[in-house]
Amino acid sequence: MTTTMPPPPAQSQPQSNAPTAHPLEPSALTTLLSTTAPSTPLSASTIQILHNLQHQHLWTSLRVHDLHLPSPNPNPDSTTPNDPLYLISGIPPHHVYTHPDEQLFMLERGLRDEDVELDRMFVLPTVEGQSWSLRKMAGVFDSLPGGDDETSREVEGEKADKLREYYEYREKARVTREWGGKRMLLAMVDRQMGGDGTVVYYVVHDGAVKPRQN
Amino acid sequence: MADTDEAAIHMPSQDSGMHIDTDLSDETQDFRMLNSISFLTDGSQQTLPKRGEKDFEPNPTLFQADVLSASRQAMHNALSYPRLHHPKTQVIGIFAPNGPAPPRSAQKFDMITEESEPSKPAGTGMGVHADSCVYVSNPKGQYFKSIGQADRWNRIWLLPEEALYLLERGTLDIRWPCSEVGCADGDETEDSGIPMSLQAAYAAFMGRSGLTSERFSVYTGLRRLGYTIVRAPGWYDEEEGADSSESEQTTLEKPQAPSLVGIFNQLLQWLYRPTPTTALGPVAGLGIHRSYDNIYRSISIIPWYDPTASPSPPPRTTPPYRVVFHIYKPSTPFKKSAPPTPDFRLAVVNARTHTTFPTSSQLGALLESTPLDPPIGEKMSRQLYMRLRHGYRNVILAVVDEGVVSYLRIADSAFGKEKIYKEKNTRGNKGPWRPRPKGR
Amino acid sequence: MDEPTLPIPISYIAGSYFLFSIDAVTYVRREHHICGVLSGTLPQIPQQNVFLGLPLKLMPEEARLLVEKGVACIVDEVKVQKDGMRSLMEEDRKKYLRELESQGQHAMRLQTDRKEQQREKALKKIEEKKAKARKAEQPPVADGPSEGSVVDLFANDQGSETSRRSSTVAAPYGTAMGVTPATSYPPLPYESSAEQRLALPEVPSSYPMFAHLHSEGYFLSPGLRFGCQYLAYPGDPLRFHSHFLGVSAEWDEEFDLMKIVAGGRLGTGVKKGFLIGGAEKTEGDAGDPSSVRTFSIEWGGM
Repeated sequence: MTTTMPPPPAQSQPQSNAPTAHPLEPSALTTLLSTTAPSTPLSASTIQILHNLQHQHLWTSLRVHDLHLPSPNPNPDSTTPNDPLYLISGIPPHHVYTHPDEQLFMLERGLRDEDVELDRMFVLPTVEGQSWSLRKMAGVFDSLPGGDDETSREVEGEKADKLREYYEYREKARVTREWGGKRMLLAMVDRQMGGDGTVVYYVVHDGAVKPRQN
Repeated sequence: MADTDEAAIHMPSQDSGMHIDTDLSDETQDFRMLNSISFLTDGSQQTLPKRGEKDFEPNPTLFQADVLSASRQAMHNALSYPRLHHPKTQVIGIFAPNGPAPPRSAQKFDMITEESEPSKPAGTGMGVHADSCVYVSNPKGQYFKSIGQADRWNRIWLLPEEALYLLERGTLDIRWPCSEVGCADGDETEDSGIPMSLQAAYAAFMGRSGLTSERFSVYTGLRRLGYTIVRAPGWYDEEEGADSSESEQTTLEKPQAPSLVGIFNQLLQWLYRPTPTTALGPVAGLGIHRSYDNIYRSISIIPWYDPTASPSPPPRTTPPYRVVFHIYKPSTPFKKSAPPTPDFRLAVVNARTHTTFPTSSQLGALLESTPLDPPIGEKMSRQLYMRLRHGYRNVILAVVDEGVVSYLRIADSAFGKEKIYKEKNTRGNKGPWRPRPKGR
Repeated sequence: MDEPTLPIPISYIAGSYFLFSIDAVTYVRREHHICGVLSGTLPQIPQQNVFLGLPLKLMPEEARLLVEKGVACIVDEVKVQKDGMRSLMEEDRKKYLRELESQGQHAMRLQTDRKEQQREKALKKIEEKKAKARKAEQPPVADGPSEGSVVDLFANDQGSETSRRSSTVAAPYGTAMGVTPATSYPPLPYESSAEQRLALPEVPSSYPMFAHLHSEGYFLSPGLRFGCQYLAYPGDPLRFHSHFLGVSAEWDEEFDLMKIVAGGRLGTGVKKGFLIGGAEKTEGDAGDPSSVRTFSIEWGGM
């Protein structure tokens, strides 16, 4: 199910000032895309987003997961009935999302963002113009893991008590959904005609989660 | 082409360049703010309250509960305010469910047959609108300057929206006619003494002769802001050729300046670019070019739409994209007998039944049905962006979602007519170009 | 505030649902989180659009929810008025007119008394000012009309400013004000007959999501101004800002993912979340409204 990310190909920096009439060398990204030979446009975008996460946003431990949604909908009109879906997961360099109440909880205990261990976050790679449905969205969320076991976390240092308290509460909040339910990042890459390859990221929550106020 | 500017219609008296950053009617306001408006002291000094302070989310504090309960109480009190009519200023209207009819005294020798088509906009032989359904025998007050039509017995007849608006604002006391309240010898036009409640008036007037609740929301909303608003010929959806009077105006105005310019342009274009193809060389043509203008002109090979050259006859409008109201600013002198050219023309769209943006042909036909209103004037001639914003024809779309109205101004901008390459002189000492304010 | 008798009649007029009774409006707001949209002109302050008055316009969704809860019923108001008024008995008519007369007299008395008091107060103030001026002290502190903590029912008359000022001379007792009541009962009966009642309101396909969010405690209002279907408030909109811009979709309805990005962007710009949801359809069944899934979207900030 989980495939580790292929190592980026050796980057051969093109000699830009070489006096040659050859056409321009392909960019590093193009090389990456062509050498890893994606079979579908979706997997190409997955690699592109993976690349973006790794190099622009400095995520680590990146993985690509195959996503098998319970093929449900025997809808013949559906344009993409059984397209393979992918998920990316990785660890961001800092917390991408903190629930407002969680923030308050931490503030009250003098905990700062960097005190809390970073968690693996899931990213759904998509392409601009891609068609979607509520059923698909629900399917993606249902396939996400429930979260790590908080009690087994090792905490030390001066804030250990506070941290332990925090993790314990977070375990409970996960069940009650007090700090929101499952969440992931939706990444959309602009790959259409004239697109510039911009990747945008949106936090998607399962359920109604109140907005952050900053 | 589309230009949405709510502020333009909300704040007509102010400089159109000035935008208010908050529209208080955007969200529900705390009725406690009403208390700060002093009703008792000089009413002419009334100013609107500032946006109320609201919280992000409920918390279990007693304080918050108290504030909420005070807000609700204030709302309750404000909404309980009665509609009272002091005998000195009381204006009484009588509901005439079957439309305009002469007074009883005149009926003896003037037998009027009942109107077979009550929705017809034409007169009734009494000089009043056939859709009128309330008459006022003692028209007092400023409102009748722009509302209602007089018959030859000096009674003012009101359309359903006019009657309902005046009753709602507490200005008019409408009575049931004897015929509707079970009086044995009741006459259709005689006062039974029983006032119509707000509820009764809504039941009687809403839905009558094309008055949808969306149209009424727009009517009262603009009346409350001081605009004069009257039905336009396009009110009657099913009516054929309803907006013919407007388009006649248009054709009368047109064949002056634009046509000359148009012919001249065509001549120039024909002279300067015989065949725009790159097969025989650059589009700009070979040879020596002495000015950039020539080059720009010769490479402008993409046809553009000229709003001044409208097709004749204009295409038919499709409801609801049809002008149903004419709007006059409070500052425009308005005479009921001879209404001036309206300041705005407005179409009403129900957001619940029309969920998509109108098609280009729907909008096109709507704009074509309005007279040419080119961007002329001292300011306009100086500023390119004002010209583009203003456009050559314009119309206001009022989009109504369950009583909530949004106004969009749609204008026909002529980008093709603005030769940017000729603008260089004015661009040096540029008039301040301000980007449009960000979304509200 | 009086409790209305249940079921509350909701007036169906020309395709819209209205409430005309202030008690009903307050009750459904307080007890059932149904706010509707105030769409009428406030007679005491008619030349503005910030504060509006009765009637309260209900979305078909709101009307339906109240009926399904057994709190309200839909009545054909046009029929009620027409039939009811025509069959009014002579005695009822006279009784009603007498009632109105006495209400009008009461209002007149209140207003006259009020004016007297105001005049006396104003005179007193002038006296005080004069006294102060004589003492040549610092300028008097302006004190606003703070005593009126809430809007007084009979504080104001309907006439223009000039007529009000000129008529400070007390009108003689015994003259009655004309009254335009908000509702039609009396003289009509409050309860509707079976043939005046209408079926459940027809609602758009977004109703399951509406009902779901409502059951979660949200207050909902039409969302056109923010480019969505519903605004969802965590509490009474009188006191709270909305949290979500809500849009509904069918379970298998295909939509461009751009809708999510656009909605997320729109919501984040106004510090709200964008929420998309709909009734979940599981194998075979036609969609159980009780199982609604929602997803909320915010900008990722990266």
